[in-house]
This record gives sequence, structure tokens and C-alpha cells, in this order.
Amino acid sequence: MHNASPAQDTGPMTRLRTHATLFGVGYHNLLDTYLSPSEYTGTTVRILREHNRHTRLMKGNIAMQNSLQGNLAYCNSPTEDAKDIAGGVDWTIAWRYQWSPRTNLKVLAGPMAAAHLGFVYNTRNGNNPAQARAAVDIGLSAAAICDFRLLNRTWSARYQIEVPLIGLMFSPNYTQSYYEIFSLGHYDHNVCVTNPVQAFNLNQMLSLDLPVGTHVVRVGYQCGIRQSHVNHLKTHDWTHTFLVGYVKTFQLVKPRYRTSEL
Amino acid sequence: MNKTATILRLCLMAAMTWLLAGCITEDEFDNTPSGNFEALWRTLDEHYCFFPEKAAAHQLDWNEVHERYRQKIVPTMNSEQLFEVCSHMLRELRDGHVNLTSSFNVARYWDWFENYPANFSDSLLRRYLGKDYAISAGLRYRILDDNIGYIYCGSFDHAYGSGNLNAVFTKLAMCNGLIVDIRNNEGGMLSEAQNLAGCFTNEEITGGYMAHKTGPAHDAMSKPEPLKVKPAEGMRWQRKTVVLTNRSTYSAANTFAMYMRACKNVTLMGTPTGGGGGMPFHSELPNGWSVRFSACPMFDKDMNCVEEGIEPDLRVELTEEDFRQGFDTMIEAARAYLKTGEKP
Repeated sequence: MHNASPAQDTGPMTRLRTHATLFGVGYHNLLDTYLSPSEYTGTTVRILREHNRHTRLMKGNIAMQNSLQGNLAYCNSPTEDAKDIAGGVDWTIAWRYQWSPRTNLKVLAGPMAAAHLGFVYNTRNGNNPAQARAAVDIGLSAAAICDFRLLNRTWSARYQIEVPLIGLMFSPNYTQSYYEIFSLGHYDHNVCVTNPVQAFNLNQMLSLDLPVGTHVVRVGYQCGIRQSHVNHLKTHDWTHTFLVGYVKTFQLVKPRYRTSEL
Repeated sequence: MNKTATILRLCLMAAMTWLLAGCITEDEFDNTPSGNFEALWRTLDEHYCFFPEKAAAHQLDWNEVHERYRQKIVPTMNSEQLFEVCSHMLRELRDGHVNLTSSFNVARYWDWFENYPANFSDSLLRRYLGKDYAISAGLRYRILDDNIGYIYCGSFDHAYGSGNLNAVFTKLAMCNGLIVDIRNNEGGMLSEAQNLAGCFTNEEITGGYMAHKTGPAHDAMSKPEPLKVKPAEGMRWQRKTVVLTNRSTYSAANTFAMYMRACKNVTLMGTPTGGGGGMPFHSELPNGWSVRFSACPMFDKDMNCVEEGIEPDLRVELTEEDFRQGFDTMIEAARAYLKTGEKP
């Protein structure tokens, strides 16, 4: 069953699910001192698939959000003599308790787990042409959702923030080559424990659900900060992405027939 | 209410401070002559791996180099003038793997072979190979008149498949000895040097060691880890082998010589190799110039640094007289050694 309600992550019904698919384009600022001391800037494209549903946990007040996003960026060096091509996949799952301080306002907060896999390729370097990115984190996720009436329809605005608190990430050592790691099997602190001091990461998203006919369109802005400072190597990926997509809300209906009727 | 507002304000300030302090960035230099010079000096200062070895061999003091060359930087100098000062500074490292590349020039240190006799002649090589030699993955090979196999390996830029190496050693299988000539081989892929060396050992051996920097300090170096040479899965050479080297045997070819020295039945013959025992990395300057530098040092099986080259077991040089008569002194010495054991 499908309806055009813009409500997200909300409602007491445990069988209500929303699926959102967003496409985005934006600005990417990239630093990886393993490849270059310069910041590269350019364009990023992103696709985000998000699923929200309520669980039966804590009397149905725990909402689960499962999101998967992929991005590809093409960035120039300050003098445009070299390029970085970067890509990655992020998967996040969060379980958040829901409060309703006001009838049209919902606040959600809870733990999350995230995994990131990616790469950066520099078109100019020789034995250090690329950097692999891999990380797993656990942290906190929070969101505030406000429904309001406008033009005789119900709209929904959402702000969401995710902050990893502790995790593990892959990194070569300071001038360790990938030949040493993968061809020779020489490991040297290549799996690093991360915390907000040495790997301050933050993901924020502001979105608005607009009812359009019987459909719901979502527009959003995402600010991503992914950074690390391990093994004396510094990295950052700062992104500002504008997204647009659609939201589908489903309600699972239990069939009312007997097994013998099948 | 006021108390709550104060607490909220403090929390907001703390969050903003955390956000601002949390931004991870790298110190950037201006795109000016001074900024580019400082960026170059610091890139080398923090990443170059042979400062202790260069200090021992050439009394290099990198801080003194900075002071000396910094005085030559003036704000009004043009790109060519800046490039000249920077390239002279890099020459102080005496490292063939150190380059500065601009759109108009490549700064290099080539004294490691330019200051030495070539000990190699293309004309003589053509005479020995003839016209009917075989080629497999860049390896040029044939059987010489006295049933000695000869392989000329001019670079390690080609990837060797097991089919390539099997074809070479199958053809040479009946030879009484083998010459592997890596003169004027200026390197390529380390993995291929390792693959070819694997045809000369029946058991896994430690061909040398490799390390890397673990931080910006000159002596921040990892524990050297062994470079294992695994026996090739296909054909393996079992008889005596001579590896011919000269000063233009460099980088991955230098590493191949290092591996071969660890193999049984192998003799290095010729002149010392040119070195280049550090795997190079790249970086860049604010003006877009590319800089290359040695980042991962290598050591032989006895933990001697191979950056300055490898001494052969038997020294032989190309003589003028042999050259005029169309003979390659080094190939002839190798043939004699393989046939009779006679040392040059």
C-alpha cells in the first residue's frame, strides 16, 4: 500500500515504512597528504537510498534507519595540473528512540553503526598513486522532524546529524607503499583505532518533504565531514551536496485469509 | 530561565570550538618563490628516507642546505630562476630518484652514471644478439656459439607471465651456463625483478629488506621487513649464472642484482651498480611542480643499504681494445667464467 503522506520516521504504527531515493550534486574539498599536501576541489555526485521503519523495541518507540549512499568526485589541484578521482560507499544503520515534545515535532536519538569503503586516485603520482579508504564506526545519530501545514497540505522538515565516536580505519603508514602492504604483506599499524579527536567526522542533513499530487518529493542539503589524522597522514573530505528525490511510504498489511484458502 | 540560557550558550560555544578545532588541514605555503622553496624543502625534510645514509656518505646537513639556498630566493625571481635554485638544492641529496618536474624542465641528478664509464655498447649488444634472437616480455635472448645462454633485460617495465619465463628457460634449458645482462637497465617494477629472480632459486630466500618512514623525523623509520624471493612455479634455472652490471643498472635493476646476490650459483660481474635503493614517491608544490623523492629504503640480505650501489663479485670493465675489435669484454669474461671457472 502506498500513500503520499510526507511523514518520516513517525507514527505509532510499527508497520509503516518509508523509502527515499535521492540524487545529489555538490562541492567536494579533498585532502590526502599521502598523495599531496594540497587541497583538491571539485564536483561530487551522490546517490542516497534511505529506509526508515519502526521496530517493536521499547513499545514501538525505536525507529530504525538504514541508509546506503555512493558518491563519485572529480577534483582539481589548486593549479589544475593534477586531478583526484574519488569514490566511496557509505552504509549506516541507526536505532533511535522517538520523543514527541509537541504534536507536530518529533525528536529521535540513538546509537548508529557505519561502514565506509572508498578510494582516491591521483592522476600524477607514481608509486603512491592512490589511497584506499576503509572504516567502521559506532556513534550517535539524532534527528528532529517537524510537520507543518502550508498551502493546505502537510509538509515535513527534517534535520539529522550523525557523529561517529569510535571506530577502526585502514591507513598505510607515513611513507609505506601499497606494494609493501599488499604484495609483500608488510603490515605496520595499518588498522587504526579512531576517535573524534584524530578522526572528527560529522554528517548533517537538512531535508524538506513536499507533497506533489499523490507523491512526495524530498529536497535536501547534506554537509559531510570525514577526516582523519593517523600515522602522521592527514585526510579530509568536506562535501556540500544538494539532493532531490522521492519518498515512498508503505504500510504492511497482514492478509486476512486462512492457510486452507490458498 | 537565565541559567538555562547560559548553559545552552556555553554548550553551543563548546560545540563550535570543537567543530573549528576539529577541522583537519595541512599547513599551506603561498604560491610565491619563497613559499614554493619552503614547500619543497619541507616535503623532502619530512618524507625523504636517506638523510642518515647521505649524512654518513656525503656529510649532508639538510638544515644547512636550507640556510644556504634560502638566501638565493628573492620575491622578484621568475620561474626559471626559482627552478634553477631548487634543482641545485635537490642535487645536494645525490639521489637519482629525486626529481623536480615543471612544464619546461626536469631537475635531476645523473652523476651516478654520467661520471663513470658506460661499460656498455648498443653496437656490441647487436653483434652478440644478431638478428634472430627471441623476445619474450621484453627479454631478448639467444644461445651463444659456445652453448652459453644470454638474456638481455633492458628494463623491468614489462610484466612477466609464467608463460613468458617458461618459454625463455625452455629454450635455454640445454645451455651450459647463463648470462643475464642488466647493464643500462634503469628499473621498472619491483615485482617483476622479484619474479625474474624467482627463476634462480629452488627455495624461498631473503633477498633483502625494505622499510619506510613512520613520521616526519629523519630517523623515524620502520623495522626493515624481509623481501622474500619465492621460487618460480614453472621452469627454474639450475646451472651457473653470471649477472652483468654497470653504473646504469639502477632502481629495480639494482634490486634485482640484490636478489640475485642472495641466490646460489649466481655471480655478479661488471662494475658497481648505480644504486637507487629507495622506492620513490611523488608530491607537489603550490605552483604545481611535481617532486619525486626516495621514500622506502632497501637493504641487502646483510642489512647494507643499497642506495649507493652494489659491488659486483668480480670486477670487469669494457676495454677500448676489445671494443675496437668488436668484443664485449664483460660478456667474454662471463663466458670464460661459466665455461672454465676462470676469474677475470
